Amino acid sequence: MSTQPLALASEAPGHGRRRWWWPWGGAQHDTVFAYLLNVPALVMIFTLVAYPIGYSFWLSLQRYNLKRPDLQRFVGFDNYLQLLTDDTFLNSLKISCIFSFCSVVLVVAISLSLALLLNETFLGRGVLRSLILLPWALPGVVNGLMWRWLFNARVGAFNGALLSLGLIDQYQTWLIDPTSALAIAIFANVWNLAPFSTIILLAGLSTIPSELYDAARVDRASAFQRFRHVTLPWLLHPLLVVLILQTLNAFRTFDTIYILTGGGPGEATNVIALQTVRTVLDFTDFGMGNAYAYVITFITLAISIGYVAILHKRGSFEV
Amino acid sequence: MTATVAPTQPRTGARIGLQIPWRQIATYALAIFFACYLLVPFLWIVLTSFMTEADALSVPPQWVPANPTLDNYAGFFNPTTQQRLQGSRAVEETPRGLLNSMIVAFSTALLNLSLATLAAYSFARLRFRGSQLLLMLYLVSRMVPGVVIIIPFFLVLRTLGLLDSYLGLILSYTTFTLPFTIWILKDYFRTIPRDLEDAARVDRCNWFQMIWRVFLPISTPGLVAAGVFAFMTAWNEFLFALFLTNTIKSKTIPLIVANFANDLDVRFTFMAAAGVLAVIPPLVLALIFQRLIVQGLAAGSVKG
Repeated sequence: MSTQPLALASEAPGHGRRRWWWPWGGAQHDTVFAYLLNVPALVMIFTLVAYPIGYSFWLSLQRYNLKRPDLQRFVGFDNYLQLLTDDTFLNSLKISCIFSFCSVVLVVAISLSLALLLNETFLGRGVLRSLILLPWALPGVVNGLMWRWLFNARVGAFNGALLSLGLIDQYQTWLIDPTSALAIAIFANVWNLAPFSTIILLAGLSTIPSELYDAARVDRASAFQRFRHVTLPWLLHPLLVVLILQTLNAFRTFDTIYILTGGGPGEATNVIALQTVRTVLDFTDFGMGNAYAYVITFITLAISIGYVAILHKRGSFEV
Repeated sequence: MTATVAPTQPRTGARIGLQIPWRQIATYALAIFFACYLLVPFLWIVLTSFMTEADALSVPPQWVPANPTLDNYAGFFNPTTQQRLQGSRAVEETPRGLLNSMIVAFSTALLNLSLATLAAYSFARLRFRGSQLLLMLYLVSRMVPGVVIIIPFFLVLRTLGLLDSYLGLILSYTTFTLPFTIWILKDYFRTIPRDLEDAARVDRCNWFQMIWRVFLPISTPGLVAAGVFAFMTAWNEFLFALFLTNTIKSKTIPLIVANFANDLDVRFTFMAAAGVLAVIPPLVLALIFQRLIVQGLAAGSVKG
C-alpha cells in the first residue's frame, strides 16, 4: 500500500551485493552480528518476562494461598475449571467485555474525528494539537482522581453544571448507581486514552501524499468520496494499530478504575484486571490470581493473533 | 459519520464563493467542542488546586476561585502543622515522590534507548535468519499483561534484593516498554537512507562511530518518540509500583496520589495540587517534543 517502506523492504539485505543464503559470506556475519545486537534486550526480556510467565503459569496450576501454605499442592487445571462456575469471575469477564467494547468504539470514533479535524487548517489548530497531549500525559491514577472529584455527589462540578443548566433538580450520586458508574469509568478511560490514538492517526494522515487529493479533486470527488477512497485506505493500517492497542489497554485497565470506583458499587465496575489484583493482594490467593491473569493473557493473545492475521492477509494482496 | 462532518483537506473556498461557509462553521464548532472536552475536566482540577478548602467544597461549585491561594502548593514543601494534619503523610511524601518518579522515568528512557537502538538497528539494516520470529517474540512479550508476571517478578526481585529500589522499578519498566521502543525505532531507522552509512564506511569509521556520529543524529525524531513514550509509561505506571515499593525510598508519584485518594480525611485541594504536580513533567515533555513525536511515529504507523 505504501510505496516507501515497500521499496526499503526490498533492498533489506545488509550489504547489497552479498547473498543472504551463502553460509560463509556476509549473511553469516550479518546473522551473528544481528544476534549480538539483540543480546542485551533478549537477556532482559528472558529473565524478567519469559521466566515469570512460565513460573506464573506453574503457579496457576497450584492451590497456593499465602495464608494457608500448608495447603499448597498441584491441582492441574482445577483453578481454571473453577473459574467457569465462579460468579465473580464471570461477572468481571462480562464487565470487562462491555467496558472494552465501549471503550474501543468510543476511542476510535473520537480519535478519528479529532485526527481528521486536526488535519484541516484553521485558526488555533496548533493550540488544539497541544491540547490533545494533556489527557495523554495524565497518569491513570490522576485521571481516576479527577473524575471522582468531578462526579462527586456532594460538591462535584458535574452536578453543579447540570443543576445550573436545570437538567437535574438535585445533586445525583453518579458513582453509586451501577450503570452510571460503569459509564463514567468508560468515559474516564476514553478521555485518557483517545489522545494517543489521535496522535497515531495524525501521524498516519501526515503520510498521505497530497497529490492523491488533488487528483480526486480533479475528478470532482465529493468530500465524502475523498474520505472513502483516499483517506480511509491509507488510514486502515494505523486504525488497526489503534484497535489492537486500545483493546489490549482496555482489557488491562486497572489504575483509573482502582481510584475512580475501586470496582464498586458492588461489583458493577469490577473489571478482570482489578479482580485479579484483588485476588492476589487482598485474598493472597496466588494460584487463583494467576489463573485469572492467564485468562486475560489468552484473551489479549487471541485478539493480537487476529490482528496480526489481518495484517498478514492484507499484506499478501495489498502491500 | 463524524468523517463526513470533518472534511479531509485544507484547501477550501475554491467553489464556495458567496455561499455561507458551512464547512468553516462546522470545523470551528467541532474544534471548540473538542477543545472544551479536552481542557475543561483538567482545568477544573487546576482551579481547585488554587482554592481554599472552603471554596472547593462550596455548593454550587465556584468556577473561579474567590480567594485564590498558593497554600496548597507551598504546603508540599513547607507544611504548616495544620497542613501536616490535614494532608496526612501523603503531603510530606509528595516532593520525594516527584524526585523518585523523575529518576526512575528518566533512567528507564535512557536504558530503553540504548538497548532498543542496538536491536532496532539489526532489524532495520541486517537480514538474518529468524528476524521475523524475533520481532514476533518481542511483540508477544508486550502482549502479556502486567498482572501475569507481577508475582514471579516480585519473587525474582526479592531474590536479587531489588525490592523497594530504583533499579527494580527501572528494570521492570524497561522490560515492558522495550518491545514498543524497538518497533518504533526499527520503523524509523528503515526510513533513513543507506548512503550516509556507506559514506561513513568509506571514511573508515567503525560501526560504533558510524552509529554515534551519523546514524543517531539523523534518527532524532524516532529516538525522541521512543524516549518520551518510555518516560511517560514509567512516570504513569501504577500496578508494578504498588507491588514493588513500600517506602518513600522508591515510591513514585502515582502511588502517592493514590494514597491521597484512599485517605478520606485528606483535603480535596491538596489532592488537586498533587495531581497537577504529577502531570507537569510528562506534559512539558510532550509539549516540547510534540512535532518530533508525530514525525517519529509517522514512520511506523504506515507499516508496522
